[in-house]
Amino acid sequence: MYQYSAFDRRFVEERVEQYRDQTRRFLNGDISDDAFQQLRLRNGLYIQRLAPMLRIAVPYGILSATQLRAIAAITRDYDRGYGHLSTRQNMQINWPELTDVPDILARLAEVEMHCIQTSGSCIRNVTTDQFAGVAGDEIVDARPYCEIIRQWSTYHPEFDWLPRKFKIAVNGAESDRAATHVHDIGIRVRRGDDGAPLFDFLVGGGLGRTPVIGSLIRQGLPEKHLLSYLEAILRVYNRYGRRDNKYKARIKILVRAMTPETFRERVDAEWAHLKDGPSTLPDAEVSRIRACFAPPEYDDLVDEPALLARQRLQNPAFNTWMRHNVAPHKRSGYAIVTLSTKVTGVPPGDVTDEQMDAVADWSERFGFGEVRISHEQNLVLPDVAQRDLRTLFDLASAAMLGQANAGLLTDMICCPGGDYCALANAKSIPVAEAIQRRFDDYDYLHDLGPLDINISGCMNACGHHHVGHIGILGVDKRGEEFYQISVGGNQAEDASLGQILGPSFGRADVPGVIEKILDVYLERRFEGEPFLHTARRIGIEPFKERVYPATDGRPGSRPKVAAQVPTQDAERRPRSARAG
Amino acid sequence: MLVRDGRIVADPWTLVEDGPARPGVIAPFDAWKRSPQGAGVWVDGDRDVEELVPEILEAPVVAVRFPAYADGRGLTFGALLRGRYGFRGELRAWGDVLADLTEYMHRCGFNAYQLPDRRQAEVAIACMARMSDHYQASATEPLPAFRREAFAT
Repeated sequence: MYQYSAFDRRFVEERVEQYRDQTRRFLNGDISDDAFQQLRLRNGLYIQRLAPMLRIAVPYGILSATQLRAIAAITRDYDRGYGHLSTRQNMQINWPELTDVPDILARLAEVEMHCIQTSGSCIRNVTTDQFAGVAGDEIVDARPYCEIIRQWSTYHPEFDWLPRKFKIAVNGAESDRAATHVHDIGIRVRRGDDGAPLFDFLVGGGLGRTPVIGSLIRQGLPEKHLLSYLEAILRVYNRYGRRDNKYKARIKILVRAMTPETFRERVDAEWAHLKDGPSTLPDAEVSRIRACFAPPEYDDLVDEPALLARQRLQNPAFNTWMRHNVAPHKRSGYAIVTLSTKVTGVPPGDVTDEQMDAVADWSERFGFGEVRISHEQNLVLPDVAQRDLRTLFDLASAAMLGQANAGLLTDMICCPGGDYCALANAKSIPVAEAIQRRFDDYDYLHDLGPLDINISGCMNACGHHHVGHIGILGVDKRGEEFYQISVGGNQAEDASLGQILGPSFGRADVPGVIEKILDVYLERRFEGEPFLHTARRIGIEPFKERVYPATDGRPGSRPKVAAQVPTQDAERRPRSARAG
Repeated sequence: MLVRDGRIVADPWTLVEDGPARPGVIAPFDAWKRSPQGAGVWVDGDRDVEELVPEILEAPVVAVRFPAYADGRGLTFGALLRGRYGFRGELRAWGDVLADLTEYMHRCGFNAYQLPDRRQAEVAIACMARMSDHYQASATEPLPAFRREAFAT
């Protein structure tokens, strides 16, 4: 993984001291609340409903055992002994004191970490495939480009005060595990006929209250132009993105208002000035960064089909874990393991300090001291020898990280929601828990197959509900929490946005509605057909009919009837145990 | 309180939000264009630089208004005026200028800043000196770090 140069180290140390000075001046009354808000956001510090929340940057989701242990220690010393994996591959801690934050940043700097630009209207932590560098289906390793973009976007003189936050994702594999269609900029790296990396740019995708699939504005850009082309896009956005209404300030609104064609022309006109300028990447720089991501010293192992088959036969739990949580590795004899944080009763993505320490240990014992965070809020060990899988499974199970549910219904993406977040309209964690409780039968889950349920507590969509196969959105109706449900979203290479079923439901009704949706799927699927395919094939109507049964046979009257029924239900039934 | 080229100085100019241009006055663009002799010009940060050149390049001082400190359009305006069009005169930030953000302005080609008071002017000077280096090329650094020798050490 990337190692800081002396330049990086000095930069981060100076940034810590800069923030320490800003905090001191704020506490002295020298900086207004309003101004300090923006300054602290650019160092990842939010003031939340209950306490400050500090978001630690985990560049493109990769961290070392040493870094993970350092975070564990910080949660012990300054927090309540746990952290939260975010959907942008970062780590959040929820209870730091504002006055302690400069010291926390200094502790992070000691292990080459920071919180720079993890919030605020600036370029955020660049994200990628959590399997980058080891995936069996990889075309180009995206990590060096992520690091190049990280450095370029850090404290950029011109693009740190944008109309709104700005998220970039890079994907270099056949499968799109980085959700490039729903980012402000999604970059897909592939190889040209001569083997040289080429970059395709999707712009203006995003979730939030206006979900949009990004528009392809440039195909086949050569590597050396990566940064100058990014500068052209950012410059057009910084100049013309709306600043009068924060809900219309993302680049997707600009691209749509201009039309993608006009936007591309503006970018090309700007790029004509920047092309071949100082930001042009020399081969030597790309090589320097790429060298940091050279493969580790793998042993010459062979695949172990016989051993694994025997172990799987001996232990059904190991068998299901192998099926769902273990992915093919580039190197023979190795595998990629997803350690699921999704266990009933624990907010998705929460990990304790002990779990962090354990994972750090395993990453050294069963790998090369590297850990990944996936945007599905799980931890990944990228280089596990196949012969060690069984041992790791036992250790992970004992540490509540061995759930065999990666990619299944109970592996939900879920934002912190109304329990923690000041923006939320509704709680999301209790909804996730209620669904996990309802569907706790492993056989049923495995029969359902791959299924993404994504939950957001408000339309800012941190839980990516638009691209869940089933999406759940918390809404506020006259002070009460309701949940709108959509079907047919997808975050992968054939991305799509879910369609809303109809009027929203009270919290207690959500698991029942999910069950009805799944019943329709189970009745209508062809053998082996995943949920998403069935949903696309049969359309939304059969789901609607099941969830909102017509009372008088006239389809037009359905929404009105349905709008009342859940409300009464919600009043009649008790709220879920946890929420009450 | 004016900070120019890293020091607090007495402001030789009078900026008028509205009104005709005359020597010693920084006036809005349209007024300045009518009688530019001896006058400075101010513009809003969201103006298209392309529409103001080449005339504006003749002004001794261009003052860019930041309507809100977090409005980054003035940064791009400055970067283009200084970098692309080679403006040589004083490039000044006024309006809602936050001391902590003068460093960004400096790197986008500004060399003068109107701060609310002496204390903030002193803070701005300190802020501009706090970070010793940056990754990107800018008005203060012609090459990005990766093109400079000794970077990768």
